[in-house]
Amino acid sequence: MIADLTETIVKILFIFSINVGFYAPILGWVERKQSALMQDRVGANRASIFNFRIIGLFHPIADAVKVLTKEDFIPDGADKFFHTLAPFLSLTPAIVTFAVIPFGGSYELWGHPVQLVIADLDVGMLFIFAFASISTYGVVLGGWSSNNNWSLLGGLRASAQMLSYEVAMGLTLIGVFMVYGSLRLTEIGAIQENFFRWGIFMQPLGFVLFLTCAIAENKRAPFDQPEAESELVAGYFTEYSSMKFVMFWMGEFLEIVTISGIVTTLFFGAWHLPFVSDRMLLSLFAGAGPNGAAVLAMLVNVAVFFGKVSFFIWLMMTIRWTLPRFRYDQVMRLGWKMLLPLALLNIFITGIVLLV
Amino acid sequence: MTEHQAFKAWVGDLPADKLKPKKVRKDINLTLWERLYIFEVLRGLAITSRHFFGNLAGFVRPPKGRKRKIPTVYYPEERATLPVAYRGRPALVANPDGSERCVACGLCEKICPAFAIAIVGDEREDGSRYPASYTLDLSRCVYCGYCEEVCPKEAIVMSDEYEGLCTTRRDDLLYTKERLLKPAARLAQRIDYVRRIYAKCNY
Repeated sequence: MIADLTETIVKILFIFSINVGFYAPILGWVERKQSALMQDRVGANRASIFNFRIIGLFHPIADAVKVLTKEDFIPDGADKFFHTLAPFLSLTPAIVTFAVIPFGGSYELWGHPVQLVIADLDVGMLFIFAFASISTYGVVLGGWSSNNNWSLLGGLRASAQMLSYEVAMGLTLIGVFMVYGSLRLTEIGAIQENFFRWGIFMQPLGFVLFLTCAIAENKRAPFDQPEAESELVAGYFTEYSSMKFVMFWMGEFLEIVTISGIVTTLFFGAWHLPFVSDRMLLSLFAGAGPNGAAVLAMLVNVAVFFGKVSFFIWLMMTIRWTLPRFRYDQVMRLGWKMLLPLALLNIFITGIVLLV
Repeated sequence: MTEHQAFKAWVGDLPADKLKPKKVRKDINLTLWERLYIFEVLRGLAITSRHFFGNLAGFVRPPKGRKRKIPTVYYPEERATLPVAYRGRPALVANPDGSERCVACGLCEKICPAFAIAIVGDEREDGSRYPASYTLDLSRCVYCGYCEEVCPKEAIVMSDEYEGLCTTRRDDLLYTKERLLKPAARLAQRIDYVRRIYAKCNY
């Protein structure tokens, strides 16, 4: 009992620290630097402590100091309650959804089975969908309660866009569930121990569709209609400042991490290296004794998982800084006329392949 | 000569269709390959990632002896080499003996569109004129370069200085003759350029 509780708390602390403590601040830096390098610029590199600059890594700290000392402003005529609630509704789902994503396999440590997932739900994927829908409320409420035309338009666009793409995203994943026969993400991950059973080989079309829908859900370019800077100032968070603004911003970055985690788990072999099974990994570290081997294998698996996650974060950043924004009608047309039929086709083909 | 004729003389006998502005083509028919978009997306991603990985090498500091691919100038540490046509703070040209070339004719004062120049002329014992005081109010100066163009003595030219013009006190921007004077040797390039560009002869 105590051991289980400790284990869960340790896992929660680990995920929380790596997401909120590492990925959220570092992604702000990555976004600046990566966009700069892609556009032949240098990027932010001026924040310094005692003249040490370390390629701009102090900028997240400078940002934090800045936003913490800024005035938290609620505009005149805004709905105070919902205006305050919206950023919470936007940030919380982004943090919570990582609870069902396995970041490692299951190991036997000192006779105690350890599974590296905070909550091993048998409806893991549905849980993610449920919480992804809640984050829509954050955006819509933020847009509506700000008493600002730009915000309202952003919120409306966000609601339309996120509803449309959630349909296609759900249908895309049905193909994945048909192949693996489970909604439990740990099971899906365990099946992908075999390199040729990775989701990218089983569901190549599903992968492209899912990534597209996920980026659209995340409201990042080329699907950043809700915050379209050139049209809507900043869209639904125009009227937000200080920590509330940062909560939207952090929610966006953590959603990138979560989406990368889901893509890794469903399509890119979760915590497995290609052609390396769990047993091979354990026998590789056999010299460290059974417990030591398990710990080392665990470390390798966690590193592999977060390495893959980082790769997908890089990919999504690259996509964000490469593609121009879609027009609103193009977003809708792509969602309903392209992705939805393709997702249905994917289910159809998957069904035929499974039956034959 | 009317304006139209002047334009004709300027463009010469180019065919009329070449002079028309380029039309925005709204009827471009994309091929099916392009309409699928995903392959064009991949092509775009290839281009941007090529830039990304190419610049990653010179990210921290350029490799020794190699020029950095990113053309950004790290300003306080590095200075850009400015073209000679750059119009920085106006400077009075000083002769090698330290005296100014200016004869206080007042043409620059007259032409200055921002009324930034104030001259008080005087005469020396030998009858040559000189400015007793030459004040340039840099808080008004618009860096148009008219003073340089109009000066018959090549006595005022635009230097390549662009620093030190930011201050919290207005008085600091009132440049007197002593602050404006610069030896002719340091302004030789610009003087030469001015001669060419305004087709000035050597007076």
